Amino acid sequence: MKLKQWSLLAALTVTLPLAACGGDDGASSTSDAPATSDAPVSTDAPSTGEGGSVFVTGSSTVEPISIKVGELAGTAEGGNLKVTVEGPGTGDGFKKFCAGDGDIADASRKIKDEEATLCADGGVEYIELAVGIDGLTVATSPKNTAVECLDKAALYALIGPESEGFSSWADANAIAGELGSAFATLPDAPLSIFGPGEESGTYDSFVEFAIKSIATDRATDVVTRADYTASPNDNVIVDGIESADTSLGWVGYAYYKAEQARMKAIAIADKDGNCVAPTDATIADGSYPFSRTLYIYVNKAKAVENPAVAAYVDLYLSAQGIEQVSAAGYIQLEAATQQLSLDAWTARG
Amino acid sequence: MAIVTDSQRSVTRSEVHQAITRQNKHIPTIALGVALLVAVSFTLLTLFALLARIITQAIPALTEKGSGFLTDTIGSEASKVGIWPGLFGSFGIGLGVLVIAVPLGVGAAIYLEEYAKKNAMTRFIIVNIRNLAGVPAVIYGVLGLIIFVGWLKPVTNGGTVIAAALTLAILVLPVVIITSMEAIRAVPLGLRDAGYGIGASRWEVTRDHVIPYAMPGILTGTVLALARALGEAAPLIMIGAITGLLPETSLSGKFTAIPMLIYSWSGRPDSGDGGVGWSNAAAAAGLVLLVLVLAFNVVGILLRNHFEAKRVGT
Repeated sequence: MKLKQWSLLAALTVTLPLAACGGDDGASSTSDAPATSDAPVSTDAPSTGEGGSVFVTGSSTVEPISIKVGELAGTAEGGNLKVTVEGPGTGDGFKKFCAGDGDIADASRKIKDEEATLCADGGVEYIELAVGIDGLTVATSPKNTAVECLDKAALYALIGPESEGFSSWADANAIAGELGSAFATLPDAPLSIFGPGEESGTYDSFVEFAIKSIATDRATDVVTRADYTASPNDNVIVDGIESADTSLGWVGYAYYKAEQARMKAIAIADKDGNCVAPTDATIADGSYPFSRTLYIYVNKAKAVENPAVAAYVDLYLSAQGIEQVSAAGYIQLEAATQQLSLDAWTARG
Repeated sequence: MAIVTDSQRSVTRSEVHQAITRQNKHIPTIALGVALLVAVSFTLLTLFALLARIITQAIPALTEKGSGFLTDTIGSEASKVGIWPGLFGSFGIGLGVLVIAVPLGVGAAIYLEEYAKKNAMTRFIIVNIRNLAGVPAVIYGVLGLIIFVGWLKPVTNGGTVIAAALTLAILVLPVVIITSMEAIRAVPLGLRDAGYGIGASRWEVTRDHVIPYAMPGILTGTVLALARALGEAAPLIMIGAITGLLPETSLSGKFTAIPMLIYSWSGRPDSGDGGVGWSNAAAAAGLVLLVLVLAFNVVGILLRNHFEAKRVGT
């Protein structure tokens, strides 16, 4: 008999909160009142209307921008959008997006052909919108005249996992030569390296750009060498690069641009061996190898049927939204490219 | 061959006597005592260090946010984040595991101990359940992804608290079954025989004698299982817990849980300006999870004491 009372009590304590939560859910998800979906796109923050939900999946690189725009959509004047953002990665994101799960897919590269086929099979039509640029600059001291340009192989030889213990640039020549680098004649000068630590997104980007493909081919760890001066503070990195005459380091392009008097950017050789220096122009046209355009892919049908999705993308492409790109540590698109995205979005029909 | 003379016997006796009285000065005994003490101190020190670190790291985040840390949602700035979606998710998962795993687990244990014939088939099943208790959590995550997020999407609505609770319930089910079986096996046979002796049916004996007597043991298993379920992050990664932005919390919508937030926040860079950083937020989330597990445990212990008191009373 006592047991029955207990089980009844247990059942009650369990079902009460569930019932309460269920109620909350019903109330919030039914408030899908139509929002100002087809409002003309302006540079002001568009109204985010009466609420509604948006689900963004995809790249963890783009995730911080989407989060910041999502927070803005939830808190900005008149904004009460419920934006949910996750970042399982570009590939996983497209898998979900093309199965109809998710209104927007963040991507740190263009959609691949097989993913486009997947979307076509799933009946998902999308609009591709460029939103920002992830780029980094490899730099040395302005006094260093010996090095003007490097390629991936030389950077792998200098900073990759096999370079542990190298104290002179020349130490890297053996590996660089083995990898067929055109820059295997590095000078015999002290090598002091400065960069962000592993916790930084700029570290991840550097590994992605310079080390990943070679390390995968050579079956080494996809990391940098551990014996360099790592700092979470960009100022410390710049100080280091400036102070040592034959230093080597890397920072986000946006940061290099702000401090370019104190560092000399090293040009990066592209696939054809042409040295490309990081400038606004080479980054914007994609010719600088250590940069990539960041995209969002919007599900066309969902943008039509869910005003919240349209309102969120409006905000993403507005002046306020573009500010979030730099706030998240990335480079804003040039005005012309921004206009292209905006035009593609307005012309979605 | 083995003829023992009286003199030999007295020698043996005195040796035994010496061994008994001397044991406190016996070098190996002392060495063992010291070694055991070191083991205990090391364990306690590690625990205290961990706890002290979590608490000191958590204090900046908790003082900055106050109760807002519990009620605000997750976001992009360490000094502004709260843990509400994680708290909701973890609490929902805890309750779900209780509702699903405990009745199923206790039921299976009662069947295996009281009803099933003790044959090769039963032994085979029990061995399998024991093995299942050792399967890595991430494997259960794959199972949850395929079954509860994929096949049962109409019921669970994809990667939701419901799917997570179901997956973690399956994960802890073997633990609940095994501990419940041990508890039921420990019920004295005489108790059952007395029941049958006065003409009670098997169901009556099980309901009125075996289960109440085994209840403290069953509850201990439940508490352990619950603590495990609340602490798991690996299966939730597979199911797709959100760590970016989650303004809505509901049982049938996207979800997150505290272990996932701790995992995600620990990997984010601190700004280095001395303010509240992600490491502080992660530590504070860890502290909340500890308190949540502790709260569930206290309820379990109170229930256990209740049943133990009742058992002594009868």
